[in-house]
Formats: sequence, structure tokens, C-alpha cells
Amino acid sequence: MSYLKIENMEIAFNTPKGKFVAVRDINLEVKKGEIVSIIGHSGCGKSTILNAISGMTFPSNGKVSIDGKGIEGPGPDRGIVFQNYSLLPWLTVYENIFQAVDAALAGKPKEEKHELVEKYLKMVNLWDHREKHPKQISGGMKQRTAIARAFAINPEVLLLDEPFGALDALTKGSLHIELLKMWNLTQRSKTIVMVTHDIEEAVFLSDRIVVMNNGPAATIREIEEVHLPRPRNKKDIVNMDEYKVIRERLLSLLMDKVEIDEKDFYKEKAA
Amino acid sequence: MKRTTTLTAPLSGEMLEGAQTENRFLAQTVSLLKGFAFNALGFGVLIGLWYVVSLITKGELPTPAATFQVFWELIKDPFYDYGPNDKGIGLQLYSSLIRVFSGFVLGAMVAIPMGILIGASSFCKRMFYPIVQVLKPVSPLAWFPIGLVAFQSASSATVFIIFITSLWPTLINTSFGVASLPDDHKNVAKAFGFSKWKYLTKVLLPFSLPHIITGLRLSIGVAWLVIVAGEMLSGGLGIGFFVWDSWNALSLERVISAILIIGIVGLLMDRGFSWIEKKVTYSV
Repeated sequence: MSYLKIENMEIAFNTPKGKFVAVRDINLEVKKGEIVSIIGHSGCGKSTILNAISGMTFPSNGKVSIDGKGIEGPGPDRGIVFQNYSLLPWLTVYENIFQAVDAALAGKPKEEKHELVEKYLKMVNLWDHREKHPKQISGGMKQRTAIARAFAINPEVLLLDEPFGALDALTKGSLHIELLKMWNLTQRSKTIVMVTHDIEEAVFLSDRIVVMNNGPAATIREIEEVHLPRPRNKKDIVNMDEYKVIRERLLSLLMDKVEIDEKDFYKEKAA
Repeated sequence: MKRTTTLTAPLSGEMLEGAQTENRFLAQTVSLLKGFAFNALGFGVLIGLWYVVSLITKGELPTPAATFQVFWELIKDPFYDYGPNDKGIGLQLYSSLIRVFSGFVLGAMVAIPMGILIGASSFCKRMFYPIVQVLKPVSPLAWFPIGLVAFQSASSATVFIIFITSLWPTLINTSFGVASLPDDHKNVAKAFGFSKWKYLTKVLLPFSLPHIITGLRLSIGVAWLVIVAGEMLSGGLGIGFFVWDSWNALSLERVISAILIIGIVGLLMDRGFSWIEKKVTYSV
């Protein structure tokens, strides 16, 4: 029973130098309520895949569908958290969320929209900061605003594009928990697809991890299943064998370059 | 202005930092006085040179003292009205300002929407931008005859050339602002399905507003330059005509006084727009 389905997808861009294939042969099925991470080196087309699901870019081949319906552009059934927060700097925290809710849930009455904004702002503990502008709050608070914005439109699928990439380790850790809390509060019914380059983050959050080859024309290298029990606790899971195995596996898939660098180092030294 | 506003906050607060506040107050006063001293020095040098030149030319150029006397006469009673050919400097200035602002507002009403169109759509840009590039370098005074033909009145023709003048800087800055809207902001609008109206009012305009105001500020600056020449052509009433009329009456004192007044008004308008510019600029 797959909910989100990507079949034989290829995404290519026309550049002045000719056709550039970003990703190809992408096949992925995601169940409803599943958290899936896409991990890989920068430039491997992770974000491109996410953009194809969000409807911002279109596959040059193959098909993306949600619940059997092909994607024809961005829609309120998918909420996006962007890499760089993407809050509108001239709007307050409250307005940033409200304008998104107002646009995405156009049919609902105003009061209901205001209630939604309040509910989600309180969920991410930003209610007291609602009148502030993005420049007045920290990076972590900005990303919480962006997460609240994505959740507030009540989408079926959440797309997170390196959502915690710009944050320090401590803030990142607390936001992971924040995200899972939000996911739990919505009865784990939201399907989450997340792009990341952080192995620990991927293991802690995901049910499955999609490891990409290096681009251009990147493909899926391997899909890891994470069988860690939920609710997960950061301190406990690091000692579980399952965690260590997956972490090892991901490291060896992503970090095979380290050894070559070492050899080069010794060669230099000998010469 | 800004200095005094920042000053009052610590002063009205607790007197715990009394000594420090006093020091800061002193430092600010000193720096303010220093600024005045430099200004006074600059003007002093200018007036000194002026005096020397008027001595050398044996009164061809009126002395500063004589000029300031005339200047004082002018601004003492700015709003007298002794018939169509003899009106106070205030009325002349008022009539020029009305012309400048009507032309400027009409120009902005055309230039801002056009700028948004050109900035937002490459189709419009390719279609209209060449026209802008051809017409922009033309002195607005060249449009005066066309204005005369179209409106049959010298006063309206002056407003018309101000309108033409005001178009270009606003149009170009607006289109630049709109075109430089980052993809991040566009993506937000796309992802959450903003309507065209919401996109315009919550994304595009707030982002471009500082650029638009800069364009307006440049526009009114050029318009104020052009009005003097325009009114010399059109005659009637206005600060430009006043300059020409004074020259015909062989009163250089009045000409120089008018120059001073034009300069001060121009400076005030520029400051006004700078202030608005700062108000609408958001920081990221």
C-alpha cells in the first residue's frame, strides 16, 4: 500500500551546454505516515527529487503520484520546509504563518484560520514571539516558524529540504524532537520526506533512508530500513546494535573517499 | 534628528547610569557642534570667495551682504499678491511645487505599474525596455512643444514634461526591484498557493518597495531640476519663471536668492524621501 509513488523518474534540465541529467531511474514507494530520508553528497539531486514531489519541477521522464493521482504542480496537500527558512522578512512570525494558511486553505472562514495559526504557534512554543519579525529571532526559532507554517496547512505530505542544515548541533537536536512531537500530535498520519546530509539525523528520524549515488545523473544506491523502536530517545538508541549497524553502513556508503585522501597524504609525505 | 531621539530614551530611563548618560549626552552634543562647525566653515569659504569675486568684478556680481538683504526682503513677505506680474516668492514656489507634484504623481502612477510589468515579465521587458532606453536620455524639455500641442496651455505642458521626467528613474528602479525578487520568496508563494493578489501585496510589493521609493526619490530630484528650466520656457508663475524674470529685471540678487531657495527646497524633498526610504526598508 504505497501512498507516494515515484516511478522510473528522470529529471533533466536544458542548459546552454545541452541536456543535464540531475537524477535518473528513481523508483521509490512511501507508505502513508512513513518518515523517509534522502541522504547523499551535495549536488546528488536530493533536493531535485523533493522538488518533483512538491511540484516545483517536473520529471522529464517517469511519474510521481500521491494516492494514485499524478502531481501537476504545488498544492496544499504538501507542506514544504525550505532549506533557508524562507520566511518573508517584512511579515511577523504570526503573519508569515497566517498568510500561508490563508492562501492554502482558501475556503475556510477567517476565525478558523486564526485558530489554526494560534494552535501551531503554541505547538512550537513561539506564541510569545508572534509579533516579532524574522530578523529578531534566532535560526532555530525561524525554522520552528517554518515547520509550524508547513504543519498549519494540514498537509498529507511534508517535504523537508535540509531543514536543520544551518543550525548548530544543540538546536538541531531539540528541533528533531520538536518535529517528532508534531508528527505524533497528528497521529503519525503525516508522510514525511526529508532531504539531509546528516547521518545521525537521518537514523534518528527515519523509518527508511534512501542513499543516493553522486551526481550528475544520480541514482538510488541503496535503501536502508531503520527498525529502531518508537518513540525514540536520542540517548538510548545510540547504544542499540541496530543503530550502530545502520550508522556503520551509511558511513561506509557515503564516506568511501576518506581512505583515498589518507593515501594521498602519505604519498606526499614520502616524496 | 536621529541623534536626539536616541538620546531621550536613556535619559528618561533610570538614573542608574547617570554619569554615563551625561557623558554620552556631552559626546553627542560635541559631535553635533563639530558637524555644524564644518558646515559653517564650508559656507564661510564659499561666501568669502563670493565676496572676493564681487570685489574683483566691481559689483557686477552683487556682494553677499546686498544679496542677503534682498533675500530677507523676499522671504519676509512671501505671500503678497499685487496682480498677475508681481507675486511673493512663496506663491511662486507654491505654484512650482504644485506642478512638480502633479507631474510626479501622474508619472509615478504610470511608472510603478509599468516597472512591475517590465520587471516581472521578460516578454514585457523585451517589448518595452528598448523604448525606455531610447526615450530616457532625451531632455524632458524636448517634450515641451508636444505638451503645448496636446494641452494648448503652457502650464499643463510644464506638468507634462515633469510627468515625462518622473517616469524613467521610477520605472527603472521598480523593474529592477521586481526582477531581483529572490527565488526563495517566489517559492514560498508557489508552495502555499498564494493568489495573484496575495503575491502582489504580500511578496512582490513589500520586497520592491525600497527600490520603488529610491526611484521616486530620484524622480522628484530630477523633476525639481527640470521645473526651473520648464518654467523659464512656459512663463507665467513659478520659481523658474521668477529666476528668468529677475534676470530680465537685472536683479542678480534675486536670482541668487532664488538659487538658494531652490537648493533648500530640493534638499528638503530629498531628505523627506530618504526618511521614507529608511522607514520602508526591512532588514533581513
